[in-house]
Amino acid sequence: MEVTVNKVLDAKGLACPMPIVKTKKQMTELEPGQVIEVQATDKGSTADIKAWAESTGNQYLGTVEEEGTLKHYLRKATPEEEKAETKHPHVTSLDELSSKVDGDEKFTILDVREPAEFAFGHIPGAKNIPLGELEQRFEELDQNGEIHVICRTGNRSDLAAQKLTEKGFNNVKNVVPGMKEWSGKTNNNQ
Amino acid sequence: MKKVAIIAANGGLFDAYKVFNIATAAAATDAEVGIFFTFEGLNLIHKEGHKNLEVPAGKEHFQEGFKKANVPPIDELLGMAQEMGVKLIACQMTMDVMSLEKEHFVEGIDVGGAATFLNFASDADVTLTF
Repeated sequence: MEVTVNKVLDAKGLACPMPIVKTKKQMTELEPGQVIEVQATDKGSTADIKAWAESTGNQYLGTVEEEGTLKHYLRKATPEEEKAETKHPHVTSLDELSSKVDGDEKFTILDVREPAEFAFGHIPGAKNIPLGELEQRFEELDQNGEIHVICRTGNRSDLAAQKLTEKGFNNVKNVVPGMKEWSGKTNNNQ
Repeated sequence: MKKVAIIAANGGLFDAYKVFNIATAAAATDAEVGIFFTFEGLNLIHKEGHKNLEVPAGKEHFQEGFKKANVPPIDELLGMAQEMGVKLIACQMTMDVMSLEKEHFVEGIDVGGAATFLNFASDADVTLTF
């Protein structure tokens, strides 16, 4: 599975607690929202990285095992994004989105999370353009089509919905809260 | 911020790993960590002593396991703990009993009595004794 990340940390061959200690160090150098891949061979690291992320308020995306190496994916979260922003006036709920997904109507689900987050679970058929790339890539979208924008908590998608409106899109809805609470079907890139 | 208070009262190699592994992991998890070294626990921060801690009798074969598992040596863990801001407090009373001075220990430690540690531990979220 190919996952785009901002930083790769090699913690292979290191025993507990070194993978955590190294992760912590590396994480302080990342910008909020960036994604790190931590490579480890310590079998306890999967549980440890998950617990560490939970205690420090960072986002654990998932782990992939490749040829004896565990690759853990983490995203540096910010406290602000935990609350769904609703500056964009048109919002829709996960329930509404869910029934729309089951219907026949044509519409676009735009997932503005980082590729690594997207890789570990997204709504089938969703298109991934990370918020940071939207400025350059918005032309990939149909300006007249109906677009539902989603992220993890409703914060980044709110910013994305505002941006699209600014660009002349007029049928954009922000899905709140976001993938964090989504219980419907998901695909991953594996 | 979480606070972790640890008492290190034993001075063998295994004891050192228990203390410093938990302490560094806690510090890496953004906790404020303080360790109170008392009695044989003082070995763990003794300038030379901490580099040559004893393996319990009959357990010498574990030495190989430590190497195989690539477990970092104690002086490395200790240095890391200090770098991450773990507070090291040596027990004054034990130092007096053993005729030890602050100079006998690694740089950057504090010396204090039971009340110093209790003050630190009074609002700790986790308290551990090794």
